[in-house]
Amino acid sequence: MIKIENLFKEFPLNKEQKKERNTSDKFASAAEDVSFNCNPGEVFSLLGPNGAGKTTILRMLSTVIQPSSGSIEICGIDAIKYPREARKKIGFLTGSTGLYARLSAHEIIDYFASLYNVPQALLKERKSYLFDLLGMNDFANKRIGKLSTGMKQKVSICRTMIHDPDVVIFDEPTSGLDVITAESIIQLIRDCRDQNKTVLFSSHIMGEVDLLCDRLAIIHQGKLKHHGTMEDFRAQMTGKSLTGEFINIVQS
Amino acid sequence: MIFKIFKKELKDTVRDRRTMLMMLVIPLLLFPVLINIVLGVSTSYADSAESKVLKIGVIGDTSDYLVQKLAQIPESFGPKKIIAYYGDSLKLQNDQKDEKLDLILWYDSRLETQLEAQEKSWIIWAFDKTNLGYADRAKSYTQIIETTERFKRYEALNIDEQKLIPFDVIYENTASDQQMLGELAGGFLPYIFIAFGFMGCMYPAIDLFTGEKERGTIETLLTTPVHRWKILVGKMLVVVLSGLMASFSALIGLFFSIQFLDMIPDPTLVSVITGMLTPSFIVKLFFLLLPLTVFFAGIMVPISVYTKTFKEAQSIIAPMNILVILPAMIGLFPGVELNIATACVPILNIVLTTKSLIAGNIDYFLLTITFLIMLIMAGTAVFISFRQFGKETNILN
Repeated sequence: MIKIENLFKEFPLNKEQKKERNTSDKFASAAEDVSFNCNPGEVFSLLGPNGAGKTTILRMLSTVIQPSSGSIEICGIDAIKYPREARKKIGFLTGSTGLYARLSAHEIIDYFASLYNVPQALLKERKSYLFDLLGMNDFANKRIGKLSTGMKQKVSICRTMIHDPDVVIFDEPTSGLDVITAESIIQLIRDCRDQNKTVLFSSHIMGEVDLLCDRLAIIHQGKLKHHGTMEDFRAQMTGKSLTGEFINIVQS
Repeated sequence: MIFKIFKKELKDTVRDRRTMLMMLVIPLLLFPVLINIVLGVSTSYADSAESKVLKIGVIGDTSDYLVQKLAQIPESFGPKKIIAYYGDSLKLQNDQKDEKLDLILWYDSRLETQLEAQEKSWIIWAFDKTNLGYADRAKSYTQIIETTERFKRYEALNIDEQKLIPFDVIYENTASDQQMLGELAGGFLPYIFIAFGFMGCMYPAIDLFTGEKERGTIETLLTTPVHRWKILVGKMLVVVLSGLMASFSALIGLFFSIQFLDMIPDPTLVSVITGMLTPSFIVKLFFLLLPLTVFFAGIMVPISVYTKTFKEAQSIIAPMNILVILPAMIGLFPGVELNIATACVPILNIVLTTKSLIAGNIDYFLLTITFLIMLIMAGTAVFISFRQFGKETNILN
């Protein structure tokens, strides 16, 4: 599970950034007092417009960056004190595909599996399962540079899942993908929930959130605007659509 | 874990055509190609200059004594065509301006009488010195005529020419061929591997750090349970290896050129150079190059980590080449020798130590100082790299 409490993140501003933002402040806040938790067997969505601070929160969860204050717990591990231990439990899909263009899908998966110390037998089994699930067998030996965006995203997801993590974090996993590829990824997220994994994904596509989510948090300008179950969200809707409700919350 | 990262980064780098070009192909082929072109061009120019029929304008008559003597010089000393202007100096000067003449020979109109009277006369050769071989041809013609006239005078004055020479002088070089090579080429060799080592490190350093930031792959790597320093070391090893490969490829290319392209006509010198390539020399050179290349990598990595785009990194690192080459060039100056002071100046110490290594007169105490200084520099550079790589504002775009 993921448990975050009173999370703050400030970034130092350089001269150019101060000029761009028209401020004399030395720091910019990307997350302010954010608290929520995601449980195993649950899909949790982090929603917010561009620049809301979603990626910053996900990066803190994946321990790539450290919070200014607050606490993060991943499967009972203090991720600030023991980031390496926490990373072993996490599969993190970054916003960009983050793949090496000169390597093949096979080579990338093998490489990341070796970094997670995945035993050979398990690697074989996981590769077979994920390649079949994501329909990667046809292009597994091709170099990444020659693949389409959808194929790259599949490899990226496979890379995220290869070590069978308990916690899966996806940063806008279906962004820019065609309907068929997006559907296979949505199916994978459902599978993860069925396998009792903790799934956290960021998105700004309300349809997808409605389809998948058990609980959601809406974030805007680094602040948590809403946190609750999908059912509660639907129940308190004042607008006609989920998108309308989302806009209302963000603009309130 | 470091080896796993190193292996993957190496595979990725080897598949990058641009890096391979800078790391292996250019260093390996540059010298053979360059030397071949330079030798080819200079030989062809020298040949054409030797075989060219030079048009020599003379102010006097073809029956003049000097003109006749000039005409008698065999063709083997260079073909020529003499054009007499019979006192028309204006036409001669105009023809010279219009480049209708290659050489002009002026001489005293009383030259024949002066020679007979054993008096000193004068001749003037006028030519465009930028034209290859003209000066040599004029000197060679003059020498032949002058020697003949001199011996005529010895005979007329009944002088034994040998008695005019007070003693023979022999200047003997006590330096061995290896020492000479150290002095002549010792500065040049390290200059090559410093330049190529720098160039070889540059592209992988930018690609493996700034490039990964741009492509978003560094973030993915940082989410794995691998220590950040291990990622840094794994990547740096590839940068260092690339620099070493470029340096050694350049040296291989150079030695190949010496061996097979007749760059050095003296076979003794060629055998000295070949003999110099002993395993001990190569090992010593490697131990000098290793900290130097680590130092280069250590300079480039923090810059690559800090910069946001490939272009930005390139625009900062490429001009640094001059800063690196500058101390290397000081080592080429005559009289600059390896001592305690110069052994403490990074890069210059490498140049001077290599010079001594080639000359075979290395002082092992100074070699150790050089190695330690470079080791300290490399260690400092790696430490700075580590600090920069640890900053989250640097590693994510």
